[in-house]
Amino acid sequence: MTNNHFDVTIRVWRQNGPDEPGRMVAYKVKDISPDMSFLEMIDVLNEDLIKKNEQPITVESDCREGICGCCGLVVNGEVHGPDEHSTVCQLHMRRFKEGDVITVEPWRVKSFPIIKDLAVDRSALDRIIQAGGYISVNTGAAPDANAIPVDKETAEEAMDSAACIGCGACVAACPNGAAMLFTGAKVSQLALLPQGKPERERRAICMLEAMDKESFGNCSNEYECEAVCPKEVKVSNIARLNREFLLANLLGKTEPNAPAKHLISTPDVPEED
Amino acid sequence: MKLDAQIPAGPIEKKWDSHKFNVKLVNPNNKRKFDILVVGTGLAGASAAASLGELGYNVKVFCLQDTPRRAHSIAAQGGINAAKNYTNDGDSVWRLFHDTIKGGDYRAREANVYRLAQISNQIIDHCTAIGVPFGREYGGLLSNRSFGGAQVSRTFYTRGQTGQQLLLGAYSSMMRQAAAGTVKVYPRREMVDIIISNGRARGIVARNLVTGALESYAGHAVLLCTGGYANVFYLSTNAAGCNVSAAWTAYKKGAGFANPCFTQIHPTCIPRSGEHQSKLTLMSESLRNDGRIWVPKTKGDKRPPNQIHEEERDYFLERRYPAFGNLVPRDIASRASKSMIDEGRGVGPTGLSVYLDFRDSIKRQGEDKIREKYGNLFDMYKQITDENGYKVPMRIYPASHYTMGGLWVDYNLMTTVPGLFSLGEANFSDHGANRLGASALMQGLADGFFVIPATIGGYLGGSKFEPVSATAAEFKAGELAVKHKLSKLLEIKGKKTPTEFHRQLGNVMWNDCGMGRNEAGLKKALKKIPEIREEFWSNLALPGTTMEMNQTLEKAVKVADFLEFSELLVKDALERKESCGAHFREESVTTEGEAKRNDAAFSHASVWEYTGEGKEPVLNKEPLAFENIKMAERNYK
Amino acid sequence: MNTLFLKRLITTSIGRKALMAASGLLLGLFMLVHLAENLLLFKGEVFYNTYVDFLLSNPLTIFLEFGLLGLFIVHITMGVWVRIEDFINAPRGYEARKWQGGRTIGSSTMLYTAAAILAYLAYHMLTFRFVDHSIGFYQMITSAFRSKMFVAVYIGGALALVLHLSHGMQSAFQTLGVNHPKYTPLIKLGGWLVALAMMIFAFISVYYLLNLDLKACGTSEMLVIR
Repeated sequence: MTNNHFDVTIRVWRQNGPDEPGRMVAYKVKDISPDMSFLEMIDVLNEDLIKKNEQPITVESDCREGICGCCGLVVNGEVHGPDEHSTVCQLHMRRFKEGDVITVEPWRVKSFPIIKDLAVDRSALDRIIQAGGYISVNTGAAPDANAIPVDKETAEEAMDSAACIGCGACVAACPNGAAMLFTGAKVSQLALLPQGKPERERRAICMLEAMDKESFGNCSNEYECEAVCPKEVKVSNIARLNREFLLANLLGKTEPNAPAKHLISTPDVPEED
Repeated sequence: MKLDAQIPAGPIEKKWDSHKFNVKLVNPNNKRKFDILVVGTGLAGASAAASLGELGYNVKVFCLQDTPRRAHSIAAQGGINAAKNYTNDGDSVWRLFHDTIKGGDYRAREANVYRLAQISNQIIDHCTAIGVPFGREYGGLLSNRSFGGAQVSRTFYTRGQTGQQLLLGAYSSMMRQAAAGTVKVYPRREMVDIIISNGRARGIVARNLVTGALESYAGHAVLLCTGGYANVFYLSTNAAGCNVSAAWTAYKKGAGFANPCFTQIHPTCIPRSGEHQSKLTLMSESLRNDGRIWVPKTKGDKRPPNQIHEEERDYFLERRYPAFGNLVPRDIASRASKSMIDEGRGVGPTGLSVYLDFRDSIKRQGEDKIREKYGNLFDMYKQITDENGYKVPMRIYPASHYTMGGLWVDYNLMTTVPGLFSLGEANFSDHGANRLGASALMQGLADGFFVIPATIGGYLGGSKFEPVSATAAEFKAGELAVKHKLSKLLEIKGKKTPTEFHRQLGNVMWNDCGMGRNEAGLKKALKKIPEIREEFWSNLALPGTTMEMNQTLEKAVKVADFLEFSELLVKDALERKESCGAHFREESVTTEGEAKRNDAAFSHASVWEYTGEGKEPVLNKEPLAFENIKMAERNYK
Repeated sequence: MNTLFLKRLITTSIGRKALMAASGLLLGLFMLVHLAENLLLFKGEVFYNTYVDFLLSNPLTIFLEFGLLGLFIVHITMGVWVRIEDFINAPRGYEARKWQGGRTIGSSTMLYTAAAILAYLAYHMLTFRFVDHSIGFYQMITSAFRSKMFVAVYIGGALALVLHLSHGMQSAFQTLGVNHPKYTPLIKLGGWLVALAMMIFAFISVYYLLNLDLKACGTSEMLVIR
């Protein structure tokens, strides 16, 4: 065990519920090991708070290895923290030093309302996928996997787009709160693969219209999203979304048969029957 | 408890086809009249919800996370097996079947495993069709890699993110059904009770994790796709949210729990750096292809690794297993590392790791070649440990990774409670005592995409259902019981956090029921667990209320269940007085110290039956017959 | 008749941005033509006035002027609309948001440079377009350029254009879906060159402010005579 432990102060956004006012609260966290992850440092603080019978900070994380897309914090003004192209669960305390004051904030995006403290509701992203982020093939009907060759470059490019973990960092980092990188990544993945080509026009139009229904801003091509994306999804995906949409809209021979409105259920609002 | 596995008659190759022909069908127009509740949205849950929705059933699907796309299947790295034989190296359904049974050390059910091998090919076809960007060769066809436990190259992959891509594929298919109206998605819900009405599972009670409200949902069948319980060891490669609670609830409602002691330890994880550690990160086993594992020959040698000369190093795997060397199976590599550490020859600041050294490979192949093969793993290692694996040996330690045990299910994936099904890692069916790499993804998708859509009709179409509504008395009683349990937790007002209890339990489990198990240790654990549990129920610190988002409460509920379940796990380990697969009883070894099965006494699945609060569980046995494969001893020397 | 696809150019985010991008590109093209016209000043008074007379006597010019006006209206309307939506939906409340490498001075000041350009445009119209042209265009322009005030404003306008186009040109291609590993770097470079070319407007005005034309009188007179 190393003896280079240190103390930091963290200033955290505390907010009891979606409609309640929030504020920054400062906490001293002592005896931090540089080998701790940033979230483990918050764990230490939370353990202290629980013992004092105070409400710990609500912060979401699951896999803690950068793939589930659950975590997402703005640390000292940087989306997912200071490390390049990584999620905040991969951030380690060796990035900080004794006496640092660290500001921790949630994604502050209109389309991701805060639920509590640092937890936000990202179901808007699910609704975009629901509008067309799939290939309409029923189980059991598929031909042999090798029936349709896909050139390696295309498969790799599709995988680059498919790597998106849906964390919402692109939206949180965008000066306008746009979700174009997220939407573009899915549209691109499926437009690139021959399996996704049959419904690419319908998909581009429906997903874009679903995106527009949510409270996202417009892309102004500033590429902050690309700079923060933990999976290095490129803005060429946004160009492809633009292209797919414009061509589908202007050159497509028929209008897409969008899923009827009443069929698009809001995942978070159950209807009792 | 009656254990009827419902295995169809006939030769093993024909069983699944004849079964599909023989099970009752549900008329297409009637399918929408059946409500199916799917709990969990990992590979098994998402694929089941998607395919049942496609068939026209009315599906409601529940998950803990903020969106169904986050279940821990997403973290699987390596790949998914299928018997396609695209590589022309002699693979076949039969060989995959054989490898899986052997890999599971002859403790899995033949018929299920054969079906899994059969379905494996359809999974690859379907996943390709729904847009999973599998790795490809320059000619445009699918690429394969080899994986442990097989001599053929049959693993399909999407870089190091196969689990993610398969899960997103299943998730998107499910969301397609959500748009079509056949699937309703309920995120941020934790199942807290299963409702049994007239002896059949007819609904669940879920806690809304945002509002804290208890919500009842009625249905005609309940599918538990809730994953494994590796977090019983506190530190594991599982996500923080992974738990045993759903399966444990099912057990308490009458579902048999099979082989809880079959838990897999993965040898190449990044070691923990201190008490604060919240999870362990896995690095692909493929590192063992080029890395050499060693510890210093002398105890307590604290010199930096590069100052320890060749003759002072003990390459213990190469020494003990000259034929396979560093490539012995997971369980053997893990145990060997542990024995070195137990001898006091562990390395690193905690002494709880061994070296994985690439010095010789770099000398031979060049750093660039190693970077090309494993660059992302070296980066990940650097990110977590701040050490450069190219310059100093990596440090690794085994970690709890997967659980083969789970709810007992028959050939139709139904538990001993009618109408209650279990899919994926949550059930016990396919991996026996040890799971081979790249088989978990295969099983989750087989169960969800292909098995359950065929078998659930046999249950639904085969009997009459009296109407049950979510406002029925059974549901009210269920909600009340849960409410009572939650408020009891909140009333303790003690001093120790749920995490502290969890860590305490994990230490006991890891030390006394981990990689090597013996009677004395297991008995010690059986004494310690109730003590921790007792302290938990009298000294738990838990702020807040039930009617709000309360992550500490969620954690406390999970720990409370682990504290009960762990005892069953240890009992099962104690009862199984043989070594098989990942279950290593130190009393049952060959003269050379290797694992020794006892087929005469233990060729069965141990199925535990709940008998009531504070009462001893009853052990039932499902005998395992091997008619198609000859049992043999595993030998890697 | 299906008009939905036309409506989508207005009702969807990409439609609006595509209109903004396309009109922006055309306006950029106009600026290049306009720059070339300005360079004709160096050919001397007679040549320049002859060219302007030719332009004004051409009946197509009025259509082009209205077309230009249309482009401005589309560009500004869509720009304002898009910006209002951004304003409503932008992340708000970060204590100390640090940009992490995507934003440039040009991209982050688009709205301000747009306002500056618009203000400048109004001034430009008032000083050059809607005034008495009887002294001849060459005289009118060059005499304006000999005013320090005017040149200062003129340089300000050019700088705003540089910033605006430094982001706007490449951004327009991205919005119209043009992105390619081989060509995008060239497009970005081209965008910057077009943007920087706007400084030539400023150079021209400074040229006259410093009376360099008079100092080089001999050569310029010769050009006129020829």
